[in-house]
Amino acid sequence: MTLSRRKFLAAGTAAAAAGLTGCGSVGSLGGKNELSMWTWVGSVNDGLIGQAEKAIPGYDGMKLAMTRIGSNYKTKVLTALAGKSLVPDIVAINDDVATYFPNADQFHDLYELGAKDLEQDFLPWKWKWGVTPQGKMMAYPMDTGPTALFYRTDIFTKAGIDIDPAAVAGLAPDWDTFIALGKKLKQAVPGSSITDNITSIYGYRMAQLPKKYMTKEGQYIGDQDHVRQSFDLAVRVVKEGLSANAQNSTDKNAVVTNGKLVAYNGAVWWAQLGPKNAAPKTKGLWRVTAAPGGAGNKGGSFLAITKYCKNPQAAFALISWLESAKNQAQAFLDPVLFPSTPASYTDSRLSAPDPFFGGQKIVDVFADSAKKYPGAYFSPYDSIIDTPIGAELVNIEASGKNPDQAWADAQHQVQRELSRVGAI
Amino acid sequence: MAVTSKAAPAAVATTAADDKPPNKYRQALPQYTAVAPFFILFAIFGAFPVLFSIWISFHSWDGIGQMKWVGLEQYHYLLTDATFWKTIGNTLIIWVLSTVPMLLLALVIANALHNATRLRTFYRIAYFVPNVTSVVAITLVFGSIFSNNFGLLNAFLQSIGLGKVEWLTSPWGIKIAIATIVTWRWVGYNAIIYLAGLQAISADVYEAAKVDGASPRQTFWRITVPMLRPVILFTAVTSTIGGLQIFTESRVLFGDTSSIGGPGDAGLTIVSYLYQSAFIKNQFGYGAAIGWALFVLIVLFSIINWRLIGGNDEERLTRRAARRVERRIAAQNAKKEAADVR
Repeated sequence: MTLSRRKFLAAGTAAAAAGLTGCGSVGSLGGKNELSMWTWVGSVNDGLIGQAEKAIPGYDGMKLAMTRIGSNYKTKVLTALAGKSLVPDIVAINDDVATYFPNADQFHDLYELGAKDLEQDFLPWKWKWGVTPQGKMMAYPMDTGPTALFYRTDIFTKAGIDIDPAAVAGLAPDWDTFIALGKKLKQAVPGSSITDNITSIYGYRMAQLPKKYMTKEGQYIGDQDHVRQSFDLAVRVVKEGLSANAQNSTDKNAVVTNGKLVAYNGAVWWAQLGPKNAAPKTKGLWRVTAAPGGAGNKGGSFLAITKYCKNPQAAFALISWLESAKNQAQAFLDPVLFPSTPASYTDSRLSAPDPFFGGQKIVDVFADSAKKYPGAYFSPYDSIIDTPIGAELVNIEASGKNPDQAWADAQHQVQRELSRVGAI
Repeated sequence: MAVTSKAAPAAVATTAADDKPPNKYRQALPQYTAVAPFFILFAIFGAFPVLFSIWISFHSWDGIGQMKWVGLEQYHYLLTDATFWKTIGNTLIIWVLSTVPMLLLALVIANALHNATRLRTFYRIAYFVPNVTSVVAITLVFGSIFSNNFGLLNAFLQSIGLGKVEWLTSPWGIKIAIATIVTWRWVGYNAIIYLAGLQAISADVYEAAKVDGASPRQTFWRITVPMLRPVILFTAVTSTIGGLQIFTESRVLFGDTSSIGGPGDAGLTIVSYLYQSAFIKNQFGYGAAIGWALFVLIVLFSIINWRLIGGNDEERLTRRAARRVERRIAAQNAKKEAADVR
């Protein structure tokens, strides 16, 4: 074929058009024998991913192509799904999994791929969170975020409080006794705080309750007593002067580093993000015990297989292998993901004493919390509801807004937002 | 690339009498082809998104599922949305807090640079450097300067006994912190533009002023500033457009969470609100509506700027003179009336 100028231009234009519209690449991302997977940084164990990148267990011809998305993870996933081409086969989903439920048709039903057989291996409430109200299993459990009370033994000793975890748990079984304990600490060591800010108390209190903002039937219950009581509790902690008023991450780290934060209701991942990273010098001074007010959960994530996946069977084999009790135990070592499989809790890798916590076996405390957590229903609208309430709480702490006014404003805003998205 | 036999002897063919009159469009084709890439790319990446955003703003869309036609509902919600009005207020306050000191400072710096005799290039580069530094890096540095409990600024204030200011939690502190970052970043850029304007002013004018015995201050206000008016207009308009689009600073200062405006949304600007609506709450229709509201605002403010600073010089001057005379007459009349009453 002789290459005429016209042909050359035509070919060039066609290539440019194809390149710009991305046609010829509809479907999933990656090569034919590759499963593509997107997660954010620090959500999976590198060693396990390394193994899967050589070969997917049970599917020798296939291997994994893993991408760690830096920031704006959710936006990038939604963009890929909206574009309907070059969509990753497997995506990680955070604890806002319910916000994907209205678009559950974008994902495979894991029950159809054989998830039912594995259900008994997982924490029941965690498993339920990945299932849509219509009974479709959209997301497979990864880690969880059981909560507990972290505290500084040196400060407790100064205040004349027994530092034994069982004794501390006995001293402060509920939030009233915990606030009394906080006041005692503040008297002994001025400046002591039992939370970094007001929203933490509210969030962790809500994370202990068996219900949240909506019922399964779609009724809004965010204006009811259980929410108002959590709201009032957070306000009370601030009014008692027991909050450090640390609103941004710099200040949050600072109150850990300088020892102002002497006790904290946190999820398991806080151990790493908080004291271990921000205050390595406090090694050995921390302990963990059952939180006042009962077991709770904050955070934790999921894996889902998109409907564009080129080999759903292989993808399911991969995620069920990755999230097996044995492998979740490994992911606890690095990057400290707390397993959603109770069988992992007795694994020797988890139950090793932690020198940062003075040789305490912290897994026992968190395992207990994870097993006892009552499990609440997460609706697709939780983040829409949570945002105005959190913002008003900050107004109370940061600028002294009247709590009743703040509550009324938050509820008004929630009503507006919910009616806009057609939820009520 | 092979050349076809038809095209090669084109130069020779002009002498041949049997040719048909050249086709106008065919002749112009190479030129159109040459400029086409820009227009094609612009249509795809410029015009299409703009038109598409109008389309989206009439819909309710979460980014994945079906778009739902809602007509003007998004705009209706926008007009009754207290947060939206708050973001406009925030943006305007931050804009004034940053633009006014920035342009004044830039003018002074430009004047100093213009008159500098030593190390001129060094100073010019030094003032321009903040502008080419990554805004994210700048903001992170300023974040630790303004940080409430352990910031450098508060440490300094406390060391001289002034107590600490809640820079990143109080409404005004947040706005001042953001405005400072903007000012620091853009002051050098504007100074360099003013400097270019200054150097275009003829030296004769200054010499004449000197001969007439004008003081440096008089020279600055009576000659430099009026002669720079077109340049000042340009910087005012670009600063307005930039100022109404402030986004990165508040976003980096307050992180990637749902509260990207800081406590009480005091640092939530219009564009942060757009970003929050579209990309955090996944309400793309509402985000697009905010974008169009912002467009209207920018047009409005550009016109106001034009009116205030630019416009037809002579017409303005004569109109102003006429007004002054009118005022004087009115004042005299008033005085006369007052005297009559007495």
